[in-house]
Amino acid sequence: MAPAAKIDLSCALIQIENVSKTFKTPAGDFPALKDINLCFGQAEYASIMGKSGSGKSTLINMITGIDHPSSGTVRVADHDVHHMNESQLADWRGRNLGIVFQFFQLLPMLSVLENTMLPMDFCNQYAPAERENRARLLLDMVGLGAEANKLPAALSGGQQQLAAIARALANDPPLLVADEPTGNLDSRSSTRILDLFDELVSQNKTVIIVTHDSSLAERASRRVLISDGMLIDETMADALPMLGHPQLLRLSQLAVNRSYEPGAILARHDNGKTGLFVITQGQVEALRIFRSGESEVCERLGPGTYFSELELEQDERSVLAFRAVSDVPVEAQWVSHEAFYHFLGESNAAENALRKAATERFGHIHRQVQPRKSFWWRR
Amino acid sequence: MRPRWKKIFSDLWGNKLRSFLVVASITIGLFAVGMITSMHSILTEDMRTSYSAINPANITISTDNFDDDLLDRVRKVDGVAEADGIRLFSTQVQTDAGEWVLAEITAFRDSNEIVINQPTPTQGQGPVSERQFGVDEYKFGYLGKEIGDNLLLELPSGKQREMPLVSLVHDQTIGASQEGGGYFLSPVQLYTTLDSLPWLEQSESMNRLLVTVDGDSNDPEYIKQISELVIEEVEDSGLTVYTSFVRGSEDHPNSTYIEAIASVLFVLGMLVMFLSAFLITNTLSGLLGQQVNQIGIMKTIGARRGQIVGIYLLLIFAFSMIAFLIAVPLASRIAYGLLEVLAGQVNVVLTGFRVVPLAVFLMFGIALVVPQLAGIYPILHGTRVSVVEALSGISSEQATSREGLVDRWLKSLRGVSRPMLISLRNTFRRKGRLALTLITLTLGGAIFIATFNVQGSLNSYIGRIGKYFLADVNVTLDSYERISEIEAEIKAVPGVKDVEGWAFARGELVMPDGSTGEAVSLLAPPAGSQLVVPMVEEGRWIEPGDQNVITLNERFHEIFPDMQPGDTITFDILGDEHDFQVAGFFQMAGRSSGYLAYTSYEYLSDLIGQPNEANAFRITASRPEISLQEQKALGQEIKRQLEASGYSVTQVEAGQSLTETTTDGLNILTGFLIIMASLIAIVGSIGLTGTLSMNVLERTREIGIMRSIGANNRTLRNLVMVEGLLIGIISWFLGTLLAFPISILLSNAINYALFGATVAFTFTIHGIFIWLVVVLILSVLASVLPARNSARLTIREVLAYE
Repeated sequence: MAPAAKIDLSCALIQIENVSKTFKTPAGDFPALKDINLCFGQAEYASIMGKSGSGKSTLINMITGIDHPSSGTVRVADHDVHHMNESQLADWRGRNLGIVFQFFQLLPMLSVLENTMLPMDFCNQYAPAERENRARLLLDMVGLGAEANKLPAALSGGQQQLAAIARALANDPPLLVADEPTGNLDSRSSTRILDLFDELVSQNKTVIIVTHDSSLAERASRRVLISDGMLIDETMADALPMLGHPQLLRLSQLAVNRSYEPGAILARHDNGKTGLFVITQGQVEALRIFRSGESEVCERLGPGTYFSELELEQDERSVLAFRAVSDVPVEAQWVSHEAFYHFLGESNAAENALRKAATERFGHIHRQVQPRKSFWWRR
Repeated sequence: MRPRWKKIFSDLWGNKLRSFLVVASITIGLFAVGMITSMHSILTEDMRTSYSAINPANITISTDNFDDDLLDRVRKVDGVAEADGIRLFSTQVQTDAGEWVLAEITAFRDSNEIVINQPTPTQGQGPVSERQFGVDEYKFGYLGKEIGDNLLLELPSGKQREMPLVSLVHDQTIGASQEGGGYFLSPVQLYTTLDSLPWLEQSESMNRLLVTVDGDSNDPEYIKQISELVIEEVEDSGLTVYTSFVRGSEDHPNSTYIEAIASVLFVLGMLVMFLSAFLITNTLSGLLGQQVNQIGIMKTIGARRGQIVGIYLLLIFAFSMIAFLIAVPLASRIAYGLLEVLAGQVNVVLTGFRVVPLAVFLMFGIALVVPQLAGIYPILHGTRVSVVEALSGISSEQATSREGLVDRWLKSLRGVSRPMLISLRNTFRRKGRLALTLITLTLGGAIFIATFNVQGSLNSYIGRIGKYFLADVNVTLDSYERISEIEAEIKAVPGVKDVEGWAFARGELVMPDGSTGEAVSLLAPPAGSQLVVPMVEEGRWIEPGDQNVITLNERFHEIFPDMQPGDTITFDILGDEHDFQVAGFFQMAGRSSGYLAYTSYEYLSDLIGQPNEANAFRITASRPEISLQEQKALGQEIKRQLEASGYSVTQVEAGQSLTETTTDGLNILTGFLIIMASLIAIVGSIGLTGTLSMNVLERTREIGIMRSIGANNRTLRNLVMVEGLLIGIISWFLGTLLAFPISILLSNAINYALFGATVAFTFTIHGIFIWLVVVLILSVLASVLPARNSARLTIREVLAYE
């Protein structure tokens, strides 16, 4: 596996360092999280996305302290979450964290007003005389002011989730975590919830939502992908949206970090063995170099874009090359030629997607070319 | 109201069945303790109060005929508060059915001014006048008469006279001048005036001296001292003291029996409370199990474990207080209701319904403590659940649990239908909960079966006591007659096989320091009598040829704990002291009987100056094991024969009457045992209902899925019913096994309380089968509601369950 990308753990709010989680089941040990390194900053709106069973809920449980890692550390707002005992954790959670669940998890026998007041009651936040007012304000904010005295069962799913959000905000926590908050809702209610999250972010709260829905994930300003208990490189994910999570994870594992001085050629067709580049810093220009020696810039690529040797097909008149241009070194995640073709050999779908993308991007430059001959490791 | 208190209130009110089960679990334990405490407190208090209110005699002396002069002299003795005299004699009276039964008549000097041993009129004209009878309530029913009817009685001459029954009274002193079960064995009690006696061919003089003491009238030693002085005065007057008896002013004649009942009820009440604690634990475990998700939610919004524990302890407190408020009036009312039945049976006058502060205090204390203690483990266990387990609904134990022995056995079963297998699996799914339910039901069943075994044991013991009274008919004559003559007369009656003449004497124990001790009844069968089969516990029985040899009942060990066979004991009989050598000790009816001794006929009859004579005869029928009715009929024939020959018969009694009377007395106790057993059965059924309800609730999703693949209402109901029946049957089996040691313990406790002795264990099979029927019925009833609930769930509800 490629070494983990360097993570800046000086992020202000949440730091997850080398966290692994293994569940013991009758069928044996199941590693749900494998050496996760991640951080989130203040006022960040992030989504954690992955398929069912990818480990996203487990990851979020590490942040909220609902579950404990088998190894590694989690620090939230300068607190080592898993070194607190359960009582300390509960108290800390009540004050610093608002959790929104997929199935709302409101106490069924209390009205939504009472549900909203309950965290203040437990954590002794706000004077008793203030609590009801504050709860009403929160319910007004989420649009449930008129339903304050109703029991959860009397509300629709969307309304219950709004009530759950009001409850999560009861003690004015800096961090809001939502696990599949719209999983049980219709689209209209989902939109309402997501608009509310936007509003909370604008109020300087950090919002992390866990979802399997890519359209929901895209509402966030940052997308964290998780697959099979491991994080997918975010830049890789941004650059290669046409690939599935397992393929992205595979590439993340295969990639190594490389640095290039301005003006350096990262790849050209006649270099051979180019592989795949995902630019993380700096600017790279795609050059068309004619046989006459002249060249022209076809395209400029910045962070979050990629190119591979599939784009380096040549025509009779020119070759394509990629050159670092900016006045700062170019940083890129690089997958070697051998690894890249091994990767392509493992997945026809990935190869087809990349080839298709290559054709769409640079097809106007090249004639349609025949696919390369298979190497021995291709399926 | 703060939201957390609102949660408590909502938890209480929201799930009414569950709340009912919790409250019922606590109420039943409180009720048992409250009922028993109330009964004991009211009974002992009213017993003392009502008995002392009638100014009972502290000293009762049986002596020769005396008049007012003796009373004047006795009144002047230091320490004597009051003195009065009555005449006491026995005769035969005829019931409405034509049967002649023994009656004891008390004649007062002036029925309008009864100073000591005052009977309380309850119906009729009140104090009786000359040639009128009052009758005590207890055996009034034997006569088959109404107040106002005439009662025919037989005079010493054989003449018969009628006197009207004008008054029904309640005499609390019946049995007071006898030890043990004098009340239960007493004949019909009649009351009249001294001036009626000549008409009844009796001397118009007194033969019983009744004395009350001043000073501490409840101090036995003090009363004894005064008694000695009074006896001295009587003897100085030239009269013979036949018997003397002392009793405290608050010492009700049946106090021993009542204490025995109370101690038995106490043990059973504690057992019910103990079971109730198990039940509370089980029910609270279920409640907490249903709250796991909410506990997880509360932990995610800032609740510390201590806060959550506090919420549930407060919830339990709320349940406890509701149970307390229900149990107090319920226990008080039912206790008094039962007492109203019991009081009449044990000759106690109740002073009125009231709530007993001690009972309330105890119930409150138990309500505060026991449910909290019973609930603390489920609460601590339930609140310990991690948030992830609470919200996911999967416990780490479940996730990592391996198949146990039971699970593998279930898997190996063949030839059992799938739905049945599901029931079997469900029964053993929650082994902890199953264990708690089984403990409750098993203990309950064991105690239930044990009560029947105890009843059998009691009856068996009574049967053994009956071996001291093996005659079919017992005849007492008015005077001593030659045995040979009476034997000949009686044998002339068809159906008579054998006749034995027995000697009988009343005496008093002479203590080592020379003071007078307890009154003793001496019985003397002829040598080689087959009409006594004694339970000799030490030494030997009397044998042919024994002279001044005596065997004593077990009560003598209370006075002489170190006495052994071979020791000497002295009795005052008819004013003379006589030494006897102790041959052995026999087991009789313990503290339920008086001080009894058996000696040889030849020796005693000589001693009392009646050699070859007797006034008590024991007759056996030629046909073995005749019924009580046949015994009575034979007795009447014998009576007619003797009276026709000019003999005056005081009493004729069927041999089985004694055991019948004793059994009747103990029926009160067994009635209470059955009440407690029923309470225990209720505890068990509450536990089972709770368990089945919780099992159904936890399997809501499973039930919905079964519905979606074709399970109809009947199938779902049957699943639950089978589960309930299975638990019931398992508990029955285990309860039957556990019933053996519990029966022995309970039987010994009761027999020791009543008789001061343990008895051999008696096993009765019908208790086992009655419990089987009861537990099957309870299992079905306990399953009905949960089964109905399971069938009512729709798939939509299940899918929306989350």
